[in-house]
Amino acid sequence: MIMNRRSLLTTALTLGAMKAFPGLSYAQARPLVFATFTGSWEEAHKAVLVPAFRKANADAAIVLDPMLSVDQIAKVNAAKANPPIDVMLHDPGPALVAVGQDLVEPYPVEKSAYYKDLIAEAQEPMGPAPFFQVVGLTYNPEAVKTPPTSWADLWKPEFKGRVGITNLNSTLGTGWLVEIAKMRGGSEVNVDPGFKALEELKPNLAAVAANPGALATLFQQGQIDISPGNFNAIQILKARGVPVEFVAPKEGAIAFKTTIHIVKNSPNRELAFKLIEAALTPEVQTTLMNPPYLIVPTNSKVTMGGEIARVLAKDTAELKKKFVFQDWKKINEQRSAWIERFNREIKI
Amino acid sequence: MGAAPASRDVTSYGMGLAAPLALFFLLFFVAPLLQLLWLSLHNDTAGLQWGLGQYLHFLTDPFSLGVLGSTLLLGAEVTAVCLVLGFPIAWLYQRVGPKLQTIIILIVLLPLLTSVVVRTFAWIVILGRQGIINATLQSLGIIDTPLKLLYTQFGVVIALAQVQMPLMTLPLITALGRIDPNLDDASCSLGAGSWRTFFRIVLPLSLPGIIAGCTLTYAAAITAFITQSLVGGGQMLFMPMYLYQQASTLQNWPFAAAISIIFLLAVLAVVSVFTTLGRMSRGYGGA
Repeated sequence: MIMNRRSLLTTALTLGAMKAFPGLSYAQARPLVFATFTGSWEEAHKAVLVPAFRKANADAAIVLDPMLSVDQIAKVNAAKANPPIDVMLHDPGPALVAVGQDLVEPYPVEKSAYYKDLIAEAQEPMGPAPFFQVVGLTYNPEAVKTPPTSWADLWKPEFKGRVGITNLNSTLGTGWLVEIAKMRGGSEVNVDPGFKALEELKPNLAAVAANPGALATLFQQGQIDISPGNFNAIQILKARGVPVEFVAPKEGAIAFKTTIHIVKNSPNRELAFKLIEAALTPEVQTTLMNPPYLIVPTNSKVTMGGEIARVLAKDTAELKKKFVFQDWKKINEQRSAWIERFNREIKI
Repeated sequence: MGAAPASRDVTSYGMGLAAPLALFFLLFFVAPLLQLLWLSLHNDTAGLQWGLGQYLHFLTDPFSLGVLGSTLLLGAEVTAVCLVLGFPIAWLYQRVGPKLQTIIILIVLLPLLTSVVVRTFAWIVILGRQGIINATLQSLGIIDTPLKLLYTQFGVVIALAQVQMPLMTLPLITALGRIDPNLDDASCSLGAGSWRTFFRIVLPLSLPGIIAGCTLTYAAAITAFITQSLVGGGQMLFMPMYLYQQASTLQNWPFAAAISIIFLLAVLAVVSVFTTLGRMSRGYGGA
């Protein structure tokens, strides 16, 4: 074989490229990749779930790659045969999209030691829900002296120019609109009453935030005094000294299932299953329920305590009574039309 | 190895050195752009059915056209504010001592040294109901109830103008520095007043800088996703947020691709107007 300068250079470049982009060489073992959410979720998972998983699985290698649900779906979709993620975490809307696009494997329920202990709403065969997110009313106790009790309180004249909401890009915004529609005789398939209610809310609206995170900063700035809000996000703000309180409205707090899924064609299927099992254990869920995380547990063996027991529910029976679950399959069907309508109609 | 030609044309240059960059652009800019174009020419979200449906949908929908129009208008407003506020700074820079020059350049560059997110959050603090502006106006007794500044077009324009200001000031400083100060003196000694000198001498000669600054500021302002959504809020829809909503929340990639192509063409049109003005100004400056 004759080695000339050009072929030598080509070889060197190729080797260099393989070194620089290790993804080029496929057949190699990679650590378990868990796409959690950014922010407090990542903190909680890094501090509690990952150590528990590694302890139970001989220090198996795991990488957290935090990103939004929609980005997880896009990434897996772009490389279905060799997905860069092994475990996905989803809100109810994106979870159905992921299942619908055939991106996740059914959860091996019969192998699971904890699945049967989950409360009925959390038992999802395509990926169980290790946590709930709860949406209720958030208010500034310094400005709002009588705590609100119902979603309808947002329409009170005393809150003129003091109410904040988010647009429908977020699960929170969409779920809240559905709840408002239900309060006025609508449903997951008919949100017309909700849009009518929004129209009447306009004099009270101080802000339509682009996302729930931006809504939280508006409390800090005194821009708004009352809004629908996420229980966890509010507890984090409260811990940092912002004057906010959370209350579950009498119509019921909206509960979203945060589901966790094994990605189809994952090379780390077994470890992915083990990670999800760890997330379902009463130990991990109990730790995550306590401060500073305050994540609502789904395993019925967990005894509710602390702030969650005080504000939300003392046990699973009360939780079932106080929480409202929504049919996201129906919501997803029309969500894009609602977003379009919200874009057009809600101008303040 | 061939010998170099005996008489090499010294006015032409080999393109070899530009090849790495060209290759980089081809791979990471032109190729994705073509993919985007390909995607936008499909009528269904799965990308199977060819057609111009996405473009028709956008161009016949008053709401979408309104979003495009308000975005282009936003860019024009921000550019105008930057130009009006930035020109005096650049003018001052050319007329002060070296010490003050260092201070001015530091002030101009300082915003570039902090992240856009941090600068934008600072604006939320400034414009908020209990923010600096409202608190000051209230303590001075000028207003009774706080003004609504955050989540308004005014707020977005002001915040964007501050965030993009260096892009306007730096080209202006360079352009004004190229003008021979003797021209000012000559104009004055020939009887022109300061304003006449400014409009007849300084402004035309600084046009290349103005054009460059306007192009940069305009392009940066209309694509500033972070500042637009944080200061503008969720109900003020501009093209970058519209695009994000379609691509990310609704997973409607072909429509999102069509939006990007239309947005790209609109921006190119505006930029080419600037460039044409620049070419005309060169003739003017030389006359």
